[in-house]
Amino acid sequence: MSHHKIKNIFIQGAIHPSFIMESIQKHSTKTDIGAHNIFLGQIRGDEKDGHQVTAINYTAYEEMALQKMTEIREDIFAKYPLTCLHVYHSLGLVPTGEICLFVFTSAAHRKEAIDACEELVERIKSELPIWGEEIFDNGTQTWKINK
Amino acid sequence: MKIKILLFGQLKEKLDAGFIEIESMEDSDLLLAKLKSEFPVLSDISFRIAVDKILIAEKVVLSEKSEVALLPPFSGG
Repeated sequence: MSHHKIKNIFIQGAIHPSFIMESIQKHSTKTDIGAHNIFLGQIRGDEKDGHQVTAINYTAYEEMALQKMTEIREDIFAKYPLTCLHVYHSLGLVPTGEICLFVFTSAAHRKEAIDACEELVERIKSELPIWGEEIFDNGTQTWKINK
Repeated sequence: MKIKILLFGQLKEKLDAGFIEIESMEDSDLLLAKLKSEFPVLSDISFRIAVDKILIAEKVVLSEKSEVALLPPFSGG
């Protein structure tokens, strides 16, 4: 089946709202869909010691991340009756206020779309080998820790 | 025979390299001990080991073809 192939999820830099809009638009021909759920991760301008986060620089063990994502995708499709799911994650520098993660699930009904999306986001954050380094306005950097 | 070990995130920065090469060991436990003795900084940073792109939960036998990577805590999303 097509969703069992290894798909690239990485986008260089921020994920533009126009990309998200186009992605929604593409689903209008799939008339068995009754519900979409979208999660968007945005870079937060956290403050630490009087300095603000201006960007996060993402790096990944790409091959492992894509392999793991394929496994997660298969698990989610097996667990929920979804029509489709899409995942995009930034690599490289993403400025504060911009989008770095886009998770999009579609199903006939809302509950499976919402539950699948939530589970996907949790698994992406805990299982994909991706690292974010916060860049501050004074040029210092710290490695982000997922809560 | 040397084995190449991939570094990511904070470890890549601390060791200032994308990978390190050390004498190959029979299994992952021996490799970890050798790594920690050659690179003391590895005792200060928490990380997990992936062999052939899979996180290992227990000792794994290594071959010269094994792809070993040291992975600090993930922080994607």
